[in-house]
Amino acid sequence: MKRSLAFVGCAMLGATLCACAGCHRADHRARLIAIIVPSEDNPYFKAEADAAAARAQSLGYRVRVDAHDDDAYRQDNLVDAAFASNAAAIILDNAGSEASIAAVRRATRAGIAVFLIDREIDATGIAKAQIISDNDQGARLVAAAFARAMGAKGDYAELLGRESDTNAQIRTHGFHAVLDQFPHLKLVAAQSANWSQQEAFQKTETMLEARADIAGIIAGNDTMALGAAAAVKSAGRTHIVITGFDGSPDAINAIHRGELQATALQPAVLISRLAVDEADHYLKTGSTGEPEKQIIPCDLVTKNNADDYQNFEKIR
Amino acid sequence: MNSAAGSISQPSRAVTASARLVLLLLRARAVLVLVLLIVLFSALAPEFFTANNLSILTKHVAITALLAVGMTFVVLTGGIDLSVGSIAGLSGIAAGYLLTQGIAFGGVAHYPPVAIVVLLSICVCLVVGGLNGWLVTRAGVAPFIATLGTLYIARGTALLISNGKTFPDLGDTAGRGGTGFSAFGQRFVLHIPTPVWMMMAVFAIAWILAAKTPFGRHVYAIGGNERAARLAGIRVGQVTLLTYLFSSACAGLVGLIIASQLEAAHPATGESFELNAIAAVVLGGTSLMGGRGSITGSLIGAFVIGVLAVGMVMLGISEFWQMVIKGVVIVLAVAVDQLQARLQSRLLPFLAQSDQGAGR
Repeated sequence: MKRSLAFVGCAMLGATLCACAGCHRADHRARLIAIIVPSEDNPYFKAEADAAAARAQSLGYRVRVDAHDDDAYRQDNLVDAAFASNAAAIILDNAGSEASIAAVRRATRAGIAVFLIDREIDATGIAKAQIISDNDQGARLVAAAFARAMGAKGDYAELLGRESDTNAQIRTHGFHAVLDQFPHLKLVAAQSANWSQQEAFQKTETMLEARADIAGIIAGNDTMALGAAAAVKSAGRTHIVITGFDGSPDAINAIHRGELQATALQPAVLISRLAVDEADHYLKTGSTGEPEKQIIPCDLVTKNNADDYQNFEKIR
Repeated sequence: MNSAAGSISQPSRAVTASARLVLLLLRARAVLVLVLLIVLFSALAPEFFTANNLSILTKHVAITALLAVGMTFVVLTGGIDLSVGSIAGLSGIAAGYLLTQGIAFGGVAHYPPVAIVVLLSICVCLVVGGLNGWLVTRAGVAPFIATLGTLYIARGTALLISNGKTFPDLGDTAGRGGTGFSAFGQRFVLHIPTPVWMMMAVFAIAWILAAKTPFGRHVYAIGGNERAARLAGIRVGQVTLLTYLFSSACAGLVGLIIASQLEAAHPATGESFELNAIAAVVLGGTSLMGGRGSITGSLIGAFVIGVLAVGMVMLGISEFWQMVIKGVVIVLAVAVDQLQARLQSRLLPFLAQSDQGAGR
């Protein structure tokens, strides 16, 4: 028995040595940039993560992509892991404007430069940069397109995002800053569908049932707009104006098919590249060369220019 | 045929020794898996086996370990506690509310000191734990259903208290007269993070309870055969209630640690933590049927899950693969558990001859 144990021990040691021989050249590895996004199964966050990873690799960094699933505690653990791996910088799409402050501060104190993309935190002077898309401007663009498609008159419904989410509030505020100026556009129903396609489908079905005169639906994001479009289709209704927000590939296809009229494209790919470029600049010179808060305008996508956009990026 | 019969009646020393070794390895499988994982990750990721990372790792493990150790007694009685994740969320929100809103008293908000906040939050969790225990012992609701119900009740209550929002700035309570809630989960004592100290303390208490007190023996007895335990004069209801209270208190501690680390309390904190805790308990060799298992096993199980999670993140393994691998490890652990039970009964004749036996 002792001999067997000794054998197991030797085998383990051997395995360790072999494996270490393999990773020895890793001592002079490139610096690490950790990319942390909310999820990898959502096209928006996937595009954002992929763009950042590709840019960082082309600049000669090692990258690692992780998802925090909108769980601030998981985000905290991932920041710790980046710290333990001696990451030089973190590109972070955070898990909550208030719940993320402590994690960003801890990383910064540990000497890791944090670059926030897509969502802000409620504190300045901690992150090296906060690069976000202009939700208010995007919302106004979409609302103007919505009003045009409605012919500036008629009853409409609104699908709001998750009420605790700042972006949901900014978008609905932007919508109404434009729509409330049209006296003949009347909001007859407003419901939160929590950014969810399935929930938007159910809420829209109910709203169409209750108010047969609804001529337009303005949604806080694309997934809800697509849910609404599916409900409109299954109800056998036509000529209902639907707009979304985000510029997802699915929404752009739906615009091609005429199921959606417009969406605001958030330049996720551009933002990711900017963040990595500024991280690179910061790591080399000690400054990003830009102000901390950078707000990047959204693009309006309609049937006229839908061919110009692909995967959260303007390609022409 | 003849030779086989001969070897059973007169097993050679080599056969006995190897049978013992097989059983020893099977019984110590959680430790073996843990050692193997640590060796593997240290070899593949140069930053893994550093004091810095091990400190961070243990801090992460403390969360799962506290939940798992807390739940072990419940599982040993043959029950389960699905509500621990929600209770953790509720305790964080309770603390966040008390720290930021205070207690309205005579029209003025009074901000209680951190120690009181911690105690009150744990009390809120004990209420939920008491409800679990009451439902299981008095109302006769199956533990799975009872705690599934309180999972929703506790989560909904947390959302109601905060109205779905986050309580921010919990670390900075100087303006409200509080003193440093952030120290609770962030400070280091003798270079060891406070959550790790709490894990060690709770583990020590649970280990003593399980191994050295009548309470521990009663828990095992209830899980082994509840009817027999009742007939033997054990107060089954009381003991079971206590196991749920212990579990909820541990979950409350976890919620407070997380709120302190994040310096913010979010009502969704702790979603699906119960699954990690159950996985750790099962990995540690505790049977979901009750009656068999150990506190130490759950601690090791928590370490396996924690090491796996941190190691895979450091290696940059895709999140989807991480989920698959974690699932495979859990299923394998239970499969090996069954194998052990079967092998043990089959190898018994070989071991019966030896003086020491391997029943322990």
